Amino acid sequence: MSEVKKNILEWIVFAVSLVLVMGVIGYLSYDAATLGNRPPDIQVLLGVSESRTQGFAIPVTVRNTGEETAEGVRVEVELKLDGADAETGELEFPFVPRGGQREGFVAFKHDPNTGRLETRVLGYE
Amino acid sequence: MHRSIADSTREYARGIAGGLLFSLPLLYTMEMWFAGLTARPARLIGYVLVTYVLLLGYNRYAGLREDASFAEVAIDSVEEMGLGLVIAAVVLWLCGRLTGEMTNAEIVNQIVVEAMTVAIGVSVGTAQLGGEGQTESGERNDEDKPRDDNDGAEQQSPKDEVSFSGQLVIAMCGAVLFAANVAPTEEILVIAIESSPLKLLGLSILSLVFGALILTYSEFRGADKFVRVSGARFVLMNAFITYAVALLASALILWFFGRFDGESLEICVAQTVVLGVAGAFGASAGRLLLQAGNAQ
Repeated sequence: MSEVKKNILEWIVFAVSLVLVMGVIGYLSYDAATLGNRPPDIQVLLGVSESRTQGFAIPVTVRNTGEETAEGVRVEVELKLDGADAETGELEFPFVPRGGQREGFVAFKHDPNTGRLETRVLGYE
Repeated sequence: MHRSIADSTREYARGIAGGLLFSLPLLYTMEMWFAGLTARPARLIGYVLVTYVLLLGYNRYAGLREDASFAEVAIDSVEEMGLGLVIAAVVLWLCGRLTGEMTNAEIVNQIVVEAMTVAIGVSVGTAQLGGEGQTESGERNDEDKPRDDNDGAEQQSPKDEVSFSGQLVIAMCGAVLFAANVAPTEEILVIAIESSPLKLLGLSILSLVFGALILTYSEFRGADKFVRVSGARFVLMNAFITYAVALLASALILWFFGRFDGESLEICVAQTVVLGVAGAFGASAGRLLLQAGNAQ
């Protein structure tokens, strides 16, 4: 094997690259070793409703505690009002990765504080 | 003897340009980001390893330094992968694909998925985008033009022809580089599902004809140097080999992007044939263009 001819810049680039590549492989290996096969497990968390120019909005956080990514997560939030028809808001998240969360809003005409809120995960892939 | 800092800077600049040139379409492709979000780590490790082997092969057979030892080839391949990771991370971040609400796994996966094609682009760019008088590559072919080597330490190791295995490796790199650009898109699946078997056969024949045409009749630089044209049988054999490499590359990429998950065998084969057109184009063009670059 002939000797490797490199100048200082090339050694630096190589060293940084080696650290990056090894770091990535190390991280992926660790991830692969610790990752199971639990299907997506979706939780919906509601924030405090906020008043908007038109109507009200409630922050929705969708969290996936499973070990597989959920695609096309659809969430329904229903506002049940006394003496009026219930309002439903729907929200879709293209991806909620394992261990990750996504945030969004659902909008209502009535003040959510005047009724009861119910959340439901409609479905995902 | 060392190359000067200016020389190696130029080389890295070429590599970065090549990386962006060949993989920008993929960095701008939604399906690629999503592939990063859904990918399983074990499959990603496989992807990294396969890419590294391809880089080794490419650098060995088509790289700048023909006389490079295995250690040098291995080091170059690590550098290209490192550059690929950095380029992918910077572009993805600038495009707003890496955000604070993402988990580490998402960020790493997304970068890795993109970085591997960038790395192959870097490798090709380093070797192919060389300007006149800046290449330091050793002699590879019997060529009529003298080339100025600005590094006397490079040993000249003339080779009349790239070995057969070398051609296969380069064909594989070409196929991967071309096919990867369309593989993650939804279109491949749509075409595969909607095409009748007869049309798929047509695509298959088209790929073969492409390969045969490019390898024999085209005016690609150096074509005659690499592919000895000696009769229809040889052309046919070469076209079939190129197509086989293209199909293999296509199937690998499709599998990696999860396009085979839960599909029937027919649809898997159909997708491979559809992508195989791009693969065959890349493989045969790769065999000639990538090598012809060295022959100029």
